[in-house]
Amino acid sequence: MWLTNLKVGAVGLLVILFYTAVAHVIPQLQSEVPQAVALGDDVSPAVLAATGEQVYNGAGGCTACHGLGTRAPNLLTDYAGQGPIGARCQQRLDADCKRYLHASLTHPGDSVVLPFANIMPDVARQLGDPRAVWALVAFLQAQGGEITVTADDVQSAAAREAPASGGGEAVARSATMDPRQLLQEHACTGCHAIDGAGPPIGPSFDGIGSRISANQIRRGILDPDAEVTRGFEPFAGMMPKTFGQQLSAAQLEAIVQFLANRK
Amino acid sequence: MTADLTFLLQAAADTAGAYGHFPGVGARGAVWIAAEVHLMFAAFVLGVPMFAVITELIGIVTKDPKYDTLSKEFTRLLVFAYSATALWGAVLVFFLTTLYPRFWNHMTEIFHLSMWIYVGVFFVESFTLYLYYYGWDRWKAGRAKLGHWGLGVLLNVWGTIVMFIANGWLTYMMSPPSGATPQGLPPEVSLWNAIANATWMPINIHRLIGNAVFGGTIVAAYAGYRFLSAKTDEERAHYDWMGYVGNFIAISTFIVLPFAGYYLGREIYEYNQQMGITMMGGFMSWLWIVQAVLIGVLFLAANYYLWIGMGRIPGAERFMPYTKWMLLVLVVGWLVWATPHTMIASREELAAMGGSHHPFLDVLGVMSAKNTAVNLMILTTFLSFLLYRRANKRPVVPWARSGTIVQSAMFGIAVAVVVGYGIAGYFVPDIVRIGYSVYQVLTVLACIIGVTVVDLALVRGAESRGAIRWGRMPERSQYALFVLAVTFTWLMGLMGFARSGIRQHWHVWEVLRDTSPFAATPPLGAAANMISVCVVIFLALVAFIFWLGGLAEKAVAKPAARA
Repeated sequence: MWLTNLKVGAVGLLVILFYTAVAHVIPQLQSEVPQAVALGDDVSPAVLAATGEQVYNGAGGCTACHGLGTRAPNLLTDYAGQGPIGARCQQRLDADCKRYLHASLTHPGDSVVLPFANIMPDVARQLGDPRAVWALVAFLQAQGGEITVTADDVQSAAAREAPASGGGEAVARSATMDPRQLLQEHACTGCHAIDGAGPPIGPSFDGIGSRISANQIRRGILDPDAEVTRGFEPFAGMMPKTFGQQLSAAQLEAIVQFLANRK
Repeated sequence: MTADLTFLLQAAADTAGAYGHFPGVGARGAVWIAAEVHLMFAAFVLGVPMFAVITELIGIVTKDPKYDTLSKEFTRLLVFAYSATALWGAVLVFFLTTLYPRFWNHMTEIFHLSMWIYVGVFFVESFTLYLYYYGWDRWKAGRAKLGHWGLGVLLNVWGTIVMFIANGWLTYMMSPPSGATPQGLPPEVSLWNAIANATWMPINIHRLIGNAVFGGTIVAAYAGYRFLSAKTDEERAHYDWMGYVGNFIAISTFIVLPFAGYYLGREIYEYNQQMGITMMGGFMSWLWIVQAVLIGVLFLAANYYLWIGMGRIPGAERFMPYTKWMLLVLVVGWLVWATPHTMIASREELAAMGGSHHPFLDVLGVMSAKNTAVNLMILTTFLSFLLYRRANKRPVVPWARSGTIVQSAMFGIAVAVVVGYGIAGYFVPDIVRIGYSVYQVLTVLACIIGVTVVDLALVRGAESRGAIRWGRMPERSQYALFVLAVTFTWLMGLMGFARSGIRQHWHVWEVLRDTSPFAATPPLGAAANMISVCVVIFLALVAFIFWLGGLAEKAVAKPAARA
């Protein structure tokens, strides 16, 4: 009896030890917690870039997508024959390069590089420290370009924007349930006409409820390329596929019901 | 400087009083152990009643008393396990209130009503269990037996409701509704919005199936232990049979678990791409390699048990030559599944690979290959079950040969579709490829259902090639059952870490930040240590409960023997 107990216990422990060992053998990666960056009033471009590199490889989480070539354009190496991000940004935008990079970090949906999807989060929200965002910009500019971020940019950002990381206060997303306001906020009417007005890039919202079902509308919002309306094939792929993340379930339903009732 | 000072003051003000200290393992370690062990017991007390109510029903329908005995045997263990579940639940709540008071305040602010309902339903559930167990012998015949079975069903209903409520809390932490703030929910967002959040239903389904698997593996391991320590052939035969039933339930439900996992993963991506990427391609990417190792062991151990079991079935010899080919499919599938692909790599590792992906393994590490591999492993395991089931049967229906050909064709078509979509997946965009995995899954499910339906009709009234020699199993087969139980328990711990860890430094994703010294999600090695500690604690307590069950059994048996 005791021998049986011993054998059973030994088998159990060996199995547990085996899995523990496997987990120890593989690379040990730990998530990085965003920390407030320490940047003085007279911070130099080199210090900014060095700080930015730490954020890039650490708490920024940038390497989860950039550099793999499958989820986002390469930043530190050449992309599409235009060089690394600092070089291609400066060639194209010169003085505005700084603003462009900052905007692409804080409003990534506005500057998606095709054919990649709009999956990048707002880095300022992730890091909770506006100075870290400027440090990142400096690091990206340093990749083949000239660093134009200054200590003034950093300090004015810190003064203007209240830090969010310490207390865990996050910017609340829109909580409105008004479907018209939601359509406006998410720029739907930039492509779909409503009340007889608007561009014909996507099917009109007028009478949409008599053309397709509520289920089709819901699917069209969540997975816009699943079914392209006849006549709009040239615009296929233009509609963002991220409304599933941007809208709450209740907001989505509010829009779906609103559109389904437009007969 | 002023900004730095303001920042530090703000952080200090927010953090003051937000966290308690626990000696030794720290606050996070204490909560981790309490939560994980509580969850394992919860899975036990939710999974085993499913098992009990199914076996009791089989007993009622077939009028075979051994099913009823089996069902009661496990319900007795439930009585002890419930106490352990409640105790660990209390430990968890005390740890949360004393070690994470700010977070706990946030949760109670939003969920207090559901917490009261939870306690009420838990009471009802406990008393239903007592009625179910202690009324077993009183309501054992006729309509009363059906009423008793109804109590078992109710027990499962209450348990499921309790789990769904608790799932609302933990999934809220992953995917809170829009508008949630550290102070709570705005007026336009209701409690129901917080509970029925984006990942609630996928977790509900995943856990429901997972609990059934867990219940099956624990039952099988218990039977394995009792088989090894059995004194008589009769006992050995009973526990051999029980081990088979437990393994059957565990593996047949386990087969659908990956599909529930896909659903959950998809909803996580839909809710927040960044969270999905952290889970699959960020710092957690290596976790899936460990998961693949565990699941490979589960498939191999389950099939190994079945193949050994065929040794006690007359007529099974004709299928034995196929097992080596099935083993080959399982091993190759396992290797493909465990192939890394999109991994966070250092500059040195990137240089060594010659790029961001390995030149050869890149081809095998993608989801097209992995989905194909796992679907073929599922089909192979199903085939093992089918051969086991058919081993001692000689069909007598006139269309037996045609039926077998149809079954073979179904397998052939399923393999062709799975492999075809797997290959096609290399040549299409991501979004199309993801859709292919759904077709692969549906094909496998259709094959399993179709083949089973044909088989049920085909073996109706079949001649027997000889009775199964229950109890005539080599001892090593029982160790396969232990490996299954330990592996699945460890897998639960690992997946719990994955689900919780993808929130990274957020108590509630993008709503309430973790500002404690334990904010960073630990690397897998450290996590594995914690998981192993939890598994050892849980299995030790389960062994104690089984021992208690044995004592109770002896206490009942002795007066009966004297009488």
